Amino acid sequence: MKKVVMYTLSTCPWCMRAKKFFREHDIPFEYIDYDKADRETQQAIREDCLSHGEQMSFPFVKIGDDVVVGYNLNKYAQLLGL
Amino acid sequence: MRSYWVCDGEKMDTGKRKEQLKVMYQRVVDPLGYKFSPDEEIVDFLLEQEVQLEKEKGNPFCPCQGLTGERDHDMKLVCPCIPFHREHYDAMKRCWCGLFVHKSVDDPYELQQISLKDLEESKNKKKKERP
Repeated sequence: MKKVVMYTLSTCPWCMRAKKFFREHDIPFEYIDYDKADRETQQAIREDCLSHGEQMSFPFVKIGDDVVVGYNLNKYAQLLGL
Repeated sequence: MRSYWVCDGEKMDTGKRKEQLKVMYQRVVDPLGYKFSPDEEIVDFLLEQEVQLEKEKGNPFCPCQGLTGERDHDMKLVCPCIPFHREHYDAMKRCWCGLFVHKSVDDPYELQQISLKDLEESKNKKKKERP
């Protein structure tokens, strides 16, 4: 199973729905709410987003080595082989 | 506390502020070819988040994009942020958080969020395909 890590915002409904999708499919995932994180973590998230050529638009979902920016169930499922 | 949070000397409640923002936003997005999402539940949730962000940060920022604390960056995320991201949002027929959709859209769930990187790659591919 590919590792799933998400950067999210506590205010973002699409982030909540993305989490719901992974829970419903019993896919373990880790997440960090960017807006609730300390400054150091926020800076690290920002650099990670930029290193992938992306803006800080959420949800920012890392599935294995792939990145999906946005709520895109088809892409999540495809990358996880669901 | 910002002055617009005080109405006749009394603190404005969240519901009243949501209604105010709705009226203000409608005036801005209509000439841009956008309207509120037909999904009233998501509209209400997003407006609620924006009112909270306005209370905490001083502006009703997009609830789905990250603030950096840098004014130049963050002010482009004050709702409605369509004018600053016009090409990107026009390609998606919605704004990033989905509060607004193109006037032509009836079903917001037919639309997908497209990252800026994917949009740029798609544009470059089309350019290369041109004879």
